[in-house]
Amino acid sequence: MGRIGIIGVGHTKFGKRSDASLRELAFEAYSSALDDADMDSSKIDGSVVCSATHYDKQRSPAGVVAEYLGLNPQPTFNVEAACASSAVGLRTGWALVSSKLHDVMAVVGVQKMTELSSEEIQELMGRAGDVMWESPFGTTMPAYYAMYATAHMAKYGTTEEQMALVTVKNRKYGSKNPNAMFQKPITTEEVLKSRPVSAPLKLFDCCANADGAACLIIANAEKAKKLTDRPVWVAGLGLASSPMSLAGRTGPLTSFDVTKNAAKAAYQMAGVGPNDVDVAEVHDSFSITEILNYEDLGFAKPGSGTRLLEKGETELGGKIPVNIDGGLISKGHPVGATGASQLFALTRQLRGEAGSTQVDGAKLGLAQNIGGIGMYSAVTILRA
Amino acid sequence: MGFEKFGRFGYVSQTKVNPLLSYLEKGKIAATRCKKCGRKYFPPRADCLDCRHSIIEWVVLDGKSNLITFTQVFFAPPVFQPETPYLLGLAELVSGSRVFAPISPTVDKEQLKPGLELNLKVAKGSRDNLYYWLE
Ligand SMILES: [Zn+2]
Repeated sequence: MGRIGIIGVGHTKFGKRSDASLRELAFEAYSSALDDADMDSSKIDGSVVCSATHYDKQRSPAGVVAEYLGLNPQPTFNVEAACASSAVGLRTGWALVSSKLHDVMAVVGVQKMTELSSEEIQELMGRAGDVMWESPFGTTMPAYYAMYATAHMAKYGTTEEQMALVTVKNRKYGSKNPNAMFQKPITTEEVLKSRPVSAPLKLFDCCANADGAACLIIANAEKAKKLTDRPVWVAGLGLASSPMSLAGRTGPLTSFDVTKNAAKAAYQMAGVGPNDVDVAEVHDSFSITEILNYEDLGFAKPGSGTRLLEKGETELGGKIPVNIDGGLISKGHPVGATGASQLFALTRQLRGEAGSTQVDGAKLGLAQNIGGIGMYSAVTILRA
Repeated sequence: MGFEKFGRFGYVSQTKVNPLLSYLEKGKIAATRCKKCGRKYFPPRADCLDCRHSIIEWVVLDGKSNLITFTQVFFAPPVFQPETPYLLGLAELVSGSRVFAPISPTVDKEQLKPGLELNLKVAKGSRDNLYYWLE
């Protein structure tokens, strides 16, 4: 199996982008990825467009995105895995390039959410779970994660104050990321005082809907070496699924089996373990999710994820810096773009280009991206 | 009316497990059982995972259960907003199946904790809708 390299990355400003349509957001990210790779469109022989299409006004958005990026008549198609769309898009692109069907591809994650009314968004959110057996009771995205939080609190004594530390940490780093939706630090007290969304989760325990795009240009080893002198290599890919229904899952709901399975596959493929990771991006759709992710990825023992936070081990300068681009909690969560945004951040870290948030000598990065209410999880390991 | 009658607000109208509604009408909660291998399913399934047999029978379920986890929803989808805040729970029935269900407002929220014994009972909505909840 030949190696696949990321040779260019691009990222738009995330947030309420009332100035731009879906196709224009995709163009911003794609164009800056081409600039980053110092190349033009002529070598791109296919595109993978990643978005959770139920949020898009445009049906089958790959069609219009490929047209607007100037990528006709090359193959294009949509990859959808809810919040994990572009991590699954990278896996798809990796397989297409590995198979030699393609040499150089653009993986474009994009989402336009804020032009939907909050009523429309809430209606969609209400059908995020099993629409036959769970949505009819008034489920929401936060409600599912809140139920994991309740279970974790009951089993391990995790507190709302400890969960708030995730938001405080991530918002601190978000203030250093010009692409982030929220660039203002926040205090534990502000998090604790924010209005309840789904107990025990409060407003500032949750990430926000956003518009945005991120793009990865990938290539086979030969092309990657020819086109750039600083490729970042895809070392491990793990992806797993879990029952969509909460009732279909086993165990005490204090961890995500889907992430443990994805992590196992990614570590195995890369030939590394959690202690080898220099810098990580994990899916902090909610504060509690980041804590569960520490444990599911093997950064902490079950029940002790909060100790990493309290000891500052996931801060810049700690044992394993996590979400030091601000995470979903600061950047906002344009569903289809989030996975590529995480890989954008890791690529810059592994090239030593992360500026004031650079992890010294970072050689191995890990990104973990959960889809929806935990029915998909993707773990991607990159190596400098 | 089809299966959209199931739940506080149902989305799916057509399914092979529609007979659940007639059990709920009689105040009973029912699971399906594979006629070939005997595996029991709740929520009901029309098709057996183990032997891919699709001839099933209905069996009435014991509602005794233990709470696994719960939440109180404040921010809800539009059709559920008039009822906020409301409680949702996940419980394990004595039969071993798990059930996702609302928790009846008669249950004292302060007493809720994983492990609490609850009963899954039939509930009726104001729009002629039928479901079950934990009480
Ligand atoms: Zn069977």
